[in-house]
Amino acid sequence: MDYTNQRPPQNYSQMDDQKTQDLEESVSETIMRDLKMIAYKLKYVLIPKEQEDNGKELRNWDLWGPLIFCLVLAMTLSFKAESTTTSTKSDVFAIIFVLIWVGAFIVTLNAQLLGGKVSFFQSVCLLGYCVFPINIEAIIIAFFGSYLPFLVKLIPVFLCFAWSAYSSVGFMASLVPPHKKKLAVYPVFLFYLFLSWFSLIV
Amino acid sequence: MQNFGSNDDLDEKGHVMTEQPKIKVKFEPKPKPSACPICTVEYYQKFFDIEQRDVYMRVRCSLLSWKPEFQQCVAKNPDLWGPLWISTTIIFILFAGGNLSRFLLEEDKKHFQYEYNYMYVAVFLVYAMAFVIPIILGVIMKYILKSELGVFDIVCMYGYSLSVYIFVLILCIIPYNEAQWFFLMSGLANSTIFLLVNLWDFIKKSKPALMIAIPIIVFNVALILCFKFYFFRLIYAVDD
Repeated sequence: MDYTNQRPPQNYSQMDDQKTQDLEESVSETIMRDLKMIAYKLKYVLIPKEQEDNGKELRNWDLWGPLIFCLVLAMTLSFKAESTTTSTKSDVFAIIFVLIWVGAFIVTLNAQLLGGKVSFFQSVCLLGYCVFPINIEAIIIAFFGSYLPFLVKLIPVFLCFAWSAYSSVGFMASLVPPHKKKLAVYPVFLFYLFLSWFSLIV
Repeated sequence: MQNFGSNDDLDEKGHVMTEQPKIKVKFEPKPKPSACPICTVEYYQKFFDIEQRDVYMRVRCSLLSWKPEFQQCVAKNPDLWGPLWISTTIIFILFAGGNLSRFLLEEDKKHFQYEYNYMYVAVFLVYAMAFVIPIILGVIMKYILKSELGVFDIVCMYGYSLSVYIFVLILCIIPYNEAQWFFLMSGLANSTIFLLVNLWDFIKKSKPALMIAIPIIVFNVALILCFKFYFFRLIYAVDD
C-alpha cells in the first residue's frame, strides 16, 4: 500500500483503519513515510512559491523535523568544536540545543503576546524547519572552513542566514497586526543570527 | 386530575409540554478566573500593546538621557518588549563581541579558543540587570516608599536604559584599553543619568527616597566593571 501521498485522516474510523495499517507495516515503511513527510514540509516551508494556500499545510505540524535538524546542527558544531577536553564539545552541544528550543519558544511567545493568533506548536514547527539552511551552512563550514579565508566563509553563512530568515519572516509577519510586524520579526532575525554566528565561529 | 400514566412530557407544574422547536443555544461558559493570573499569557499581553514607532520613540528618549521625557513617552503604557529584546541583543553582542575582541588581539589566530562561558555569564548578568534588580527596586519603591510608579514602569525604564549599551558594546570590540574605558564610561553616564533624571520627581520627595539613588548608581557601575573585566579584558600575550 502506498502511504506516501496519503492525506491526514478526516474522521475517527479512517484513523482506526490507518492505525491498524500502521501497526502492520514494516519499520522501514514507517520511517520512509515519516521522512517523506518531513521532506515535503521542508520543501513547502523553504521554497516560498510552494505556499499557495497561505500556510495551511503548517496546520499539520510535527516536531520530528525540527528535532532532527536541531540534533544534526548541534552534533555538527560540537564535533567541529576544537578542544583539548570534552567539556567544550558538550558546552557547544548544550548551547545549540537549548538555544534552538528555548529560542523558538520565546519567539513564538513574543508573537502571541503581540496579539498574534497562532497555534504555539505550528510556529515552533516552522521555526524548526527553517533551521535547515543553517544546517547546510554549518556542514559547509565544518568540511571546507579550514581551507577558506574568513571573508569567503562569510558568503555561505550570510546566504543561508538570509534564506532562513526570509522563509520564516513571511509567516511570522502575517500573524500580527501591520503596525507590530517589525516587533514580531526582529526576534526571528536575532534567533537565526545567533545560530549563524555559532556555525561561523566553531 | 393528573394523568400519571400519560406518555406526554410534563413540565414542573404538571402542564403538558407541546413539541417545542429545538432552539440551539450556544452555551459559552464564563472564563474561570485563573488561580495564578500573573502566570497567564493574557496578563502580559497588555505589556506588548505597542507599535514599532513607540519602541523607536522610547529608545530615542533613553539615548537623549538628560531630558526627563520618558514617562511622557511611555504614557502609562509600560512595555516589556523593549526590555526583553534589548537585553537579548546585548547578550548576543557580549558573546560575539567579547570573543571577537579577544580574537583581534590573539597572535595565534589559527588556534583561537572560543570562550563559551561568556554566554552563561552574559545571560545571568544582563537578565539580572534588566529584570531582577528593577523588580526588587520597583517593589521597594511601590510598597515601602509609596511611589506612584508601578513595578513594571521601573522594569520598562531599566530595560530602555540599557539600550545605550548596544552601541557602546559594539564600539568596545576595538581592542584598545583607553577607547574601551571611554565608551563604557559614556554608556554608564548616559544610563545612570537617564534613570536618575526620570526618577527625580520621586527621589527628591524624602530622605529614604533619596537612598534609592545609591543602589541605582552602584548597580550600573558594577555592570560596566563586569563588562570591562570579564568580557573585554585585554590580555596581552606575554613572552615566557
